[in-house]
Amino acid sequence: MVTLADLKISEVKLSEEHVGKWGMVIDQDICTGCQACVAACAMENNIPFVGEEDSGYGRSMHWIRIERFWEGEYPEVKMTPNQPMLCQQCGSAPCEPVCPAFATVHSQAEKLNLQVYNRCIGTRYCANNCPYQVRSFNWRDYERPEPLPNQLNPDVTVRRRGIMEKCTFCIQRILNAQDKAKAEGREIMDGEFTTACAQACPANAITFGRMDDPESLVSQLAKRSHGVKHLEELGTLPNVTYFKGG
Amino acid sequence: MSKNFSRRDFLKLAGVGAATTAVLTGCGPASRYVKREPYMQMPEYNYNGQSTYYATTCRECAAGCGLVVRTSQGRAIKTEGNPNNPLNLGKTCARGQATLHGLYNPDRVTDSLKRDSRGSESMQVMDWESAIQVVADALKNNKPEEIAFLMGMAPDHLFDLASDFAKATGINAPVRFGALSMFESRATLSKAAKNLFGEASLPFFDVGGAQVVFSFGANFLETWLSPVSYMRGFAGLRDGQTKKRGSLVQFESRMSATGGKADEWIPLRPGSEALVALAIGRLVSELRDGPMPRAFSSVDPLEAASKSGIKLETLEHLAGMFANSSGALAIPGGAALGQSNGLAVAESVLALNAMSDNFGKPGGVYFSALAPNQTEYQGPASAKEMRELVQKMYDGKIKVLFVHGVNPLFELPTSLEFGGASKYVSQIISFATFPDETAREADFVFPDHHGLESWGYQRVATGSAKPVLSGAQPVVSPYYNTRATADVLITAAQLAGGKFAQALPFKDEVEFLQSKVTSLMSEADGSISAPDILTFMAYFQQHGGYWKLSDARGIPNAADVLNRSFSAQEAEFAGEGEFFFVPFVSPTLAEAGANKPWLQELPDPTTTVMWNTWVEMNPVTAHELGIENDDVVKIVSEAGELEAAVYVYPAIRPDTIAIPFGQGHTAFGRYAEKRGVNPVDLLGQHFNEAGDLAFAGMKVKVEKTGKKKPLSRLESLMGVYGIGLGEE
Repeated sequence: MVTLADLKISEVKLSEEHVGKWGMVIDQDICTGCQACVAACAMENNIPFVGEEDSGYGRSMHWIRIERFWEGEYPEVKMTPNQPMLCQQCGSAPCEPVCPAFATVHSQAEKLNLQVYNRCIGTRYCANNCPYQVRSFNWRDYERPEPLPNQLNPDVTVRRRGIMEKCTFCIQRILNAQDKAKAEGREIMDGEFTTACAQACPANAITFGRMDDPESLVSQLAKRSHGVKHLEELGTLPNVTYFKGG
Repeated sequence: MSKNFSRRDFLKLAGVGAATTAVLTGCGPASRYVKREPYMQMPEYNYNGQSTYYATTCRECAAGCGLVVRTSQGRAIKTEGNPNNPLNLGKTCARGQATLHGLYNPDRVTDSLKRDSRGSESMQVMDWESAIQVVADALKNNKPEEIAFLMGMAPDHLFDLASDFAKATGINAPVRFGALSMFESRATLSKAAKNLFGEASLPFFDVGGAQVVFSFGANFLETWLSPVSYMRGFAGLRDGQTKKRGSLVQFESRMSATGGKADEWIPLRPGSEALVALAIGRLVSELRDGPMPRAFSSVDPLEAASKSGIKLETLEHLAGMFANSSGALAIPGGAALGQSNGLAVAESVLALNAMSDNFGKPGGVYFSALAPNQTEYQGPASAKEMRELVQKMYDGKIKVLFVHGVNPLFELPTSLEFGGASKYVSQIISFATFPDETAREADFVFPDHHGLESWGYQRVATGSAKPVLSGAQPVVSPYYNTRATADVLITAAQLAGGKFAQALPFKDEVEFLQSKVTSLMSEADGSISAPDILTFMAYFQQHGGYWKLSDARGIPNAADVLNRSFSAQEAEFAGEGEFFFVPFVSPTLAEAGANKPWLQELPDPTTTVMWNTWVEMNPVTAHELGIENDDVVKIVSEAGELEAAVYVYPAIRPDTIAIPFGQGHTAFGRYAEKRGVNPVDLLGQHFNEAGDLAFAGMKVKVEKTGKKKPLSRLESLMGVYGIGLGEE
């Protein structure tokens, strides 16, 4: 157990500098694994479907996936609480320093990990370095037969073959809300908008909002004692907090 | 607008315009210095016009969730839940999200079609005038009793139109059916409610307010009745902030996604549900030291333990949970009801609630609120009633069959022989939006608009405390040359003249809708009211429907429940074979999702399999039979056989196998066709006392084929039973 006193000053600074502006809390106890968030994310973010064969090779492009594991053996078998896994928008992201093209950079304004598609040259270093395995790579130009492209969201880039992509915390929605608030001369209100996954979730297991506002629902939830962050020991400073089940 | 006029062209033209202005005025230094920006500012950082939002109703299932659809430049971009609709409060399921892949599906029926001859693939495009003439002739040239409507569970406005039409003209009352209602055993639920409480209503279970929920097979977090609403209830059950965190106990032979969320999963022997429910009732009563109610007096817990395969200690522990809870709730549903003794299961599980005295109380059992323009609960046809329709077709009593919103050739058990009977129907007219199996058999296909292009309404049958009539309006103009089925019927009735024309005296579908909601205009306690119908309709569209403001759930009269006696008889199983067979509805695909590619690519919540059908088998059984993951096996029942790959599933009884329903289409577009198998091929004609299909009442044989079919799954096989770790 590391206490605050054990940490070096520089490390404390690092974590302070990287407090996220946006954050998410996911309650695994009420997540039913229904996949509504996965479908909502795909629809919002123009994620291509890859078909049976490629998905069998693990090339499906989900930006969010529901993990579940088995514990015990029949009849004492249990499914572990469903665990929606998405980009944790790390404050100190392992994917960022390895990109030779600066395609995956940290946004100073939004405090998020960005993926700049037109810089990406497809080395896939970032995906290899991501401990959460949440980056997906366009192995092909996946086909969307007419008239399916009518559904594409004009606010989101349509990616091509050879490009890495991942959850953006629906940055198009963030920027839209920010501009609207600015035009009206106010701060963004808590709950004014949310990400596609959180908006769809029938059980309300996903809460999204401002972490830099101590009054916001997500900040309040993230402070609860049973919240955990995945692979925190790697020093990634994730911005997603999980409530385990039970 | 011309399709070739792209945004780029528009910007070019706009640029030319701006430059010309600059030259002519000779001013504007800004125009001389063009600032080049690299393509760093992605669309995410720019505005791409304003979106328009329309409220409508989801048509992916019959629950009637309200949607708000974002549209941009006439295209539907994204569906979200309508936050005002009391049923779903702004939420959607995966199917609701993927409805756009139906709207813009590359395999929709684009025009009205005439088939050259039955069974032939070749079809000719007709114009709509001739198509409507075909419908008018069908009405005019046949006796009314020779005309029948077969309709799906949605939309309700079209069902109302067909019902009114049938009543006025003497043609057969429309029959409604859907595979979801068959797998939900809706008829059993309402029949049990009638037997116990004297009212054939659809029960509503307030999961959110309960402390302990005992679910006997009810897959309420997947497709059962109203999944979005029940998932909200589940979140309420788990809420540990405002009350004590509630727990869920699931009794089923194969762990469903709902069972996966349970605190305790009880894999009882299929068919013993009624016995177990009554035994728990008896143990609860013993724990409370009160007089033993007649309902539970004849059951022996020890016998229940041995027949169900649940240890007596477990039963006693569960009874303790139930007895000591301040809000215990028991729910019957799913496969537990789809057995020969399904009605007895439903009754005894409902009776268990009497030990918790929760009828009409928070966390208990209610009757679902009836929709605002509804006077009594109308259930869909049970499988047995469908068999009667099929028999009438066989006997040549039906000459013209109109099919809308349902795909009987895929959804009905193959053994009911809808396909065989359809040969005796001279004219089948399908209104299918997609080229499904039934449309492929039909003589004519007169495609209806997609749900997002349609007017209408849907009554919320259950899931909301308030009565809700969800309203639908077109969010985009029709993409293809389709026509609203209501309009086709209205116009054809006018053409046919006489009593037909009198039965549907409307200009169009919208006028019919107005006539149906006029009475709500000035009703008290409504969400909207208006002095005239046009204003009312405007509000109706804007808000996505009409609902009452107060709770209208019914309270079951349970005074006599504990004094009745219940049958603890176990279910009988049809067929020779060593395995109980459990077909279950795929939580992501359900009955009509297979043609939407993103639904295909959603991993199944329990197995993570995508794009195909699998057979679930216990690891011990698989080991004994020498079967591994992805081995193709042949499943043989008395009604048929099929082949599918095995998924070795750790949470299923060793004597049970399970197959999801949703795949196995022979038509229905490129994403659905020739993919997986359809478990209804294995189902025989066995019904429970309420007339619902005993779909979980079969025994089957499993044979090895020696073939392999790798299943696409999201999870890695690494580490599963030692695979990849050098332990296998």
